[in-house]
Amino acid sequence: MENSIYLGLSRQTVLRTNMDMIANNIANMNTPGYRSQHMLFEEYISKPKGYDDPLSFVWNKGQYQNTKEGPLTQTGNPLDIALAGPGFFGVQGPDGETVYSRAGNLQIGSDGTLRNSADFAIAGQGGGAIVIPANSTEVKIDKNGFVSNQDGQLGQIMVVEFENLQALDPMGNTLYKSSIDGQPAQNTVVQQGMVEGSNVNGVVEMTAMIKTLRSHQSTQNILRTENERLRGAIRSLTGRN
Amino acid sequence: MRSLDIGATGMLAQQMNVDVISNNISNMTTTGYKRQRAAFQDLIYQNIDRPGSTSSDAGTTVPSGLQLGLGGRTGAVYRMHGQGALRVTENPMDLAITGEGFFQITLPSGDTAYTRDGTFQVNENGEMVTVQGYTVNPGVTIPQDALSIDINESGEVLVTLPGQTATSNLGQLQLANFVNPTGLEAIGDNLFLETDASGAATTGNPNENEFGAIRQGALEQSNVNVVEEITELISAQRAYEMNSNVITTSDEMMQTASNLR
Repeated sequence: MENSIYLGLSRQTVLRTNMDMIANNIANMNTPGYRSQHMLFEEYISKPKGYDDPLSFVWNKGQYQNTKEGPLTQTGNPLDIALAGPGFFGVQGPDGETVYSRAGNLQIGSDGTLRNSADFAIAGQGGGAIVIPANSTEVKIDKNGFVSNQDGQLGQIMVVEFENLQALDPMGNTLYKSSIDGQPAQNTVVQQGMVEGSNVNGVVEMTAMIKTLRSHQSTQNILRTENERLRGAIRSLTGRN
Repeated sequence: MRSLDIGATGMLAQQMNVDVISNNISNMTTTGYKRQRAAFQDLIYQNIDRPGSTSSDAGTTVPSGLQLGLGGRTGAVYRMHGQGALRVTENPMDLAITGEGFFQITLPSGDTAYTRDGTFQVNENGEMVTVQGYTVNPGVTIPQDALSIDINESGEVLVTLPGQTATSNLGQLQLANFVNPTGLEAIGDNLFLETDASGAATTGNPNENEFGAIRQGALEQSNVNVVEEITELISAQRAYEMNSNVITTSDEMMQTASNLR
């Protein structure tokens, strides 16, 4: 008899998680290389005994990333790189494994290695880090990721592409893990002096937020009506007022 | 509701962004100032459904899983050491560096600080000093009766003394450079200190190897680009507003829930 309340509850639970996801997107509106995440809802059908019609609950099955490229901003800083195309560059992760990122605001560490803004070393093609010697007067990064200074080449930034971008697992610090190694990039070029911004679209997130709020409120109305119906039924059946 | 806290992380990050931008704008005309930039990062993720977990008896797996991010934060505020424009002042004691390098300044404590601000003066002992009166290292003492002071591109200080036709060489200014100038610690007054992140200073003569040349009678202006700062400010303000909207909405959702009965 309380099924409609439970149906409403299933809806409200996923709406709250959805709201959390929207909040995270908006909080990362200015995070370089961030990709917005969205929820997948699915109907979950259950057919309890004694009911002719199945009940359809809603559940949050999973999420997907918006893989659209973020806007490129010209910064003129030689250590800023942006990737044009679907690829990612390699970063030496906290446990030494290779992780991937598109946040190209790089720095030089105290030991001269090229690092990202969270102080993880950038992975070179074929392993190892890229070291910029102290006497470099200029750093050039070409379209294929080759890093060079006035004396010649210093290394190549690992740029890879993935068949299934949704399989990349966000781990914070705009880094992504992948269980499958990426393939060498074919369709990705490195642009020096630019940074890829977050691909969060403020308008889309705001409307999604309003929609979530209103659905939450209307579901609440269903719950309230159902609650009153139950109360009325109990009252009239027991003959009390 | 996580979204309340997530909205707050976003607001905090944007607030710091505005702080950084306003400091850049207020130092628009500071000699030798290098603009700063805030770098944002997303926070850790909470796994609700692990990607790759089994979704049926037949061994099918969840392709994407459900991971909730917990907001954003300012990961670092770093300095962009690009060259600033030169302003000609015709003052013989104003020096600018075109290219890499920092002037070395001896602090009252005896430590060495580094600066790109070449607004130098001569103190009562004839020493070259900064606006604060700290001496420039390696020190050059200019005789009281010097008729003219010439500092060439290589940092050699040449003066003409009364009754002499040839100039006499008083010494050589040296510059310091770092592997990672971004890692220098700013202490105000346009001065920087060496840190572990910047690496040790390497010193050398101007206009040699990687060191830049010295221009006498010019000052390096700040490398703040006002148009860029204002557009950043607009986007930071809008992002701040949207984050505060997230908090309002989460509040409304909680209110609806509490009005259930």
